[in-house]
Amino acid sequence: MTDPSLKTRREFLRTTMLGGALSWTVPAFLANTFSALQAAAADSATQLVTGKDATILVVLQMAGGNDGLNTVVPFSNDHYHRARPNLGLAPNDVLKLNGDIGLHGSLAGFKDLHDAGHLAIIQGAGYPNPNRSHFRSTEIWQTASDADHFEKYGWLGRYFDNACAGSDPTVGVNIGRQMPQAFAAKHPVGVSLDNPESYRFISGDRNRQGGESESESLYRKLNDPAEGMMSEQGGDANSRGSIGAISGATPRGGSALDFLERTAMDAQVSSDKIRAISRKVQNQATYPQGQLATSLKLVARLIGGGLPTRVYYVSQGGYDTHTNQANTQQRLLQELGDSVKAFTEDLKAQGNMGRVVLMTFSEFGRRVAENANQGTDHGAAAPMFVIGDKVRAGLLGRYPSLAPGDLVNGDIQYNVDFRSVYAGLLEGWLRTPSAPVLGRQFAPVMVV
Amino acid sequence: MLKRIPSERWNFTTAAHLLNRGGFGGTPDEIEQLRALGAEGAVAKLLDYEMTPDNTPDPDWAKPDPTRAERLQQARNADPQKRREMLQEEQRTQRQRLLELKHWWLMRMAHGPRPLQEKMTLFWHGHFATSMEKVRDGYLMWKQNDLFRRHATGSWLKLLIAVAQDPAMLVWLDQAQSRREHPNENFAREVMELFTLGEGHYTEKDVTEAARALTGWSFDRVSQQFVERPRIHDDGDKTFLGRTGDLDGYDVLQEIVSQPQAARFIAAKLWVYFAGEQPSDELVTGLADVFRSSKNEFKPLLRAMFESEEFYSDTVIRNQVKSPVQWLVGSVRVLERELPPPLVCFSVTRNLGQDLFAPPNVKGWDGGLSWITTNNLLARYNDAALLVEGDASVVRAMAMGFGNGRAGAGPQAQNRLQNLRLRTVDVSQILTAEDRSDRTKLLAALEKRLLQARLTPKQEDTLKTFLDGQDNLDDKTILETIRLMMSTPEYQLT
Repeated sequence: MTDPSLKTRREFLRTTMLGGALSWTVPAFLANTFSALQAAAADSATQLVTGKDATILVVLQMAGGNDGLNTVVPFSNDHYHRARPNLGLAPNDVLKLNGDIGLHGSLAGFKDLHDAGHLAIIQGAGYPNPNRSHFRSTEIWQTASDADHFEKYGWLGRYFDNACAGSDPTVGVNIGRQMPQAFAAKHPVGVSLDNPESYRFISGDRNRQGGESESESLYRKLNDPAEGMMSEQGGDANSRGSIGAISGATPRGGSALDFLERTAMDAQVSSDKIRAISRKVQNQATYPQGQLATSLKLVARLIGGGLPTRVYYVSQGGYDTHTNQANTQQRLLQELGDSVKAFTEDLKAQGNMGRVVLMTFSEFGRRVAENANQGTDHGAAAPMFVIGDKVRAGLLGRYPSLAPGDLVNGDIQYNVDFRSVYAGLLEGWLRTPSAPVLGRQFAPVMVV
Repeated sequence: MLKRIPSERWNFTTAAHLLNRGGFGGTPDEIEQLRALGAEGAVAKLLDYEMTPDNTPDPDWAKPDPTRAERLQQARNADPQKRREMLQEEQRTQRQRLLELKHWWLMRMAHGPRPLQEKMTLFWHGHFATSMEKVRDGYLMWKQNDLFRRHATGSWLKLLIAVAQDPAMLVWLDQAQSRREHPNENFAREVMELFTLGEGHYTEKDVTEAARALTGWSFDRVSQQFVERPRIHDDGDKTFLGRTGDLDGYDVLQEIVSQPQAARFIAAKLWVYFAGEQPSDELVTGLADVFRSSKNEFKPLLRAMFESEEFYSDTVIRNQVKSPVQWLVGSVRVLERELPPPLVCFSVTRNLGQDLFAPPNVKGWDGGLSWITTNNLLARYNDAALLVEGDASVVRAMAMGFGNGRAGAGPQAQNRLQNLRLRTVDVSQILTAEDRSDRTKLLAALEKRLLQARLTPKQEDTLKTFLDGQDNLDDKTILETIRLMMSTPEYQLT
């Protein structure tokens, strides 16, 4: 009945209450450790206790539908040049990976990573019956559902539900305002922030005392779990444990207040922790300008500061290039390659490169044939990038055929179901069975 | 059979509970008025809202726009530069309308004369969850909202027919594109899975047959109206839920509503929405019996729910997490302040996880405990400062994250938010001079108004100590106290 991790958590609450100072390094992370100890392999035990070696996945969304054909370019392919008389990239415009395929010229950052053995390219990732709506296709990628099925929870949310029960809310961190649907979970966890200074209790600056306003210290007292716990003496000590297990309606006989009190404490602890880290840890690489770089800088600092996060989520928008694609995509890919390259350098300087894998995705690629506006319209399959110290570097799978007879409604056909890539990362990197997360077993692409 | 609430249990707390759940809460005076009516009278006052005139004008653009289809066509045919400008202009218009629409609806909830009708409209919006993200036409979103309001407490079958023929729904679930050669199963599936029966109460064959029957129910882009197109209707025989014949959309919906499961499904969902907890099997049976014996009309079902003893049990009262909309509208009502401007309302509800007219997917908002994450709990606490103190630092923090999101607003909106200042709550409006003369009375009056319940003794002590440290109970101190009281786990409950 009782989740052991939650019991541990309760005990932590007691210690904190009696011991005074709220130490941000201990709470749910310890709880997580104990639940993980039972579930996971024994050799990971010490790693989890220190948190120094747990693997981390960074998901990077290229929102808007990136043109895969001009990202990983089949420069020697005649079908490609016929379909793209204006937008087609010549052999001299690309960074060659072999005699036929090269990266877009502005992806020098990715080329460096490739040459260093840190970049894997999964060619032709997609799914059956592709949907061309941004909204719906993004949803399909985020929930890992079939095209004709609506899934309530996100794939990362289901990972948290299945593999991270009882863990710190910062097990998932999204950089941005809106929680991505990928994080939607039965037991919602995860933190969304675009700025560590706004993920906090904000107060006017009246009565400042040593950095903390009176209002803020009152908020802490009013939300101190000790206050709630005093009043529940003699109650069912395990009642709290079951609350978080059900979303939607309050379970019969359960108390929504218990759940709120617990979340309020989580909020306080994680807010303090994130701000402390972001003030303490410095970036150790030079990043370019731009929103994506800013996001990755923050992720690097949080990793360096030891936040017990397993999944970070960042996004870069603007890939919906219906008109004048060349300039827009050039700028975006430059930003992408340079930002990610700097991120890996930062991680190396920290000594954390071996712990982090970054995966990119976009909701769809674009039509093979360019349109009349120097752009491309919504398409289907596209490449995904996986970046890390020990990835199976280079081109994986084969390039989808561009022969007109092989196209479906003007789109290339996918070779690799994106859920196989998810499965490979879940099993090979996050070390958890993928079927409970993805709903069924997909043949994992073992990219790490 | 449902037991009625005994008259001796009807008091300020139960009356407040009815107003909180059947509407969006209210001031102590409003609760007192309901209490004086007795349970039956109070329920009737909320539920028989037809007696109360509602003269809220519709948005001035809430009518068909016969030139829209033509404009879009012109844009498609224009040269790239011109085309982009035209489409951007169209997007701006729609974005502006959506913003106005959200505010128009929140105004109805916060200050309109028929709270229960709006509460039910909100229920139907979450139930038949349709998003502007795909529909992209503010008029169609308004039209659907209007439909939910008109059918809010009427017949289940009439509502289903209206929804199946609603243009926004026809677009949202692709019914508009369903033809006899290629029946689209999207609506046919969801109408059973999500709207009426739930998984396991129909077969895959029922889905394909329903899709065939529904072909021909379509949408005319020029008139922006539902249209029946016999030429694309599959007039062959179908077998659906055991009935065979040349079935059409009406037959499908009729068959669905005649299933006992259809009554159980919707009665249980309404109970979760209003009572906030999963009903027992026995309770569902009782509710479904009421519903079916009153010809699948919602009003008698709601009356039975609101008059039932179960609705006022200890596990129900103050054990539901406020939805973001409930939080915003309810706060505005108890604070007796005006609703903030459209951009602020949009930003608040979106950041708290309930962007009206943009539910996350066709399943709608999960609701309940899932409204609460560390993130949006802190956001609720900070938004409280905005509503109570007009705290500019909160506005600035909100403005920073603005404009990233397709349904969001552009840089101009960001600037407007940066420079925006809200009025504070009028303390003399919500507290008597006597309440303001004494810290104990002040806290009691605020607890009654904001929570209709007490904080824990330690929380009360914390606030008392704070008030003791102040020279006097000036407005600023009182506003700070209100904000702090709203920055508690307790305030998130209703």
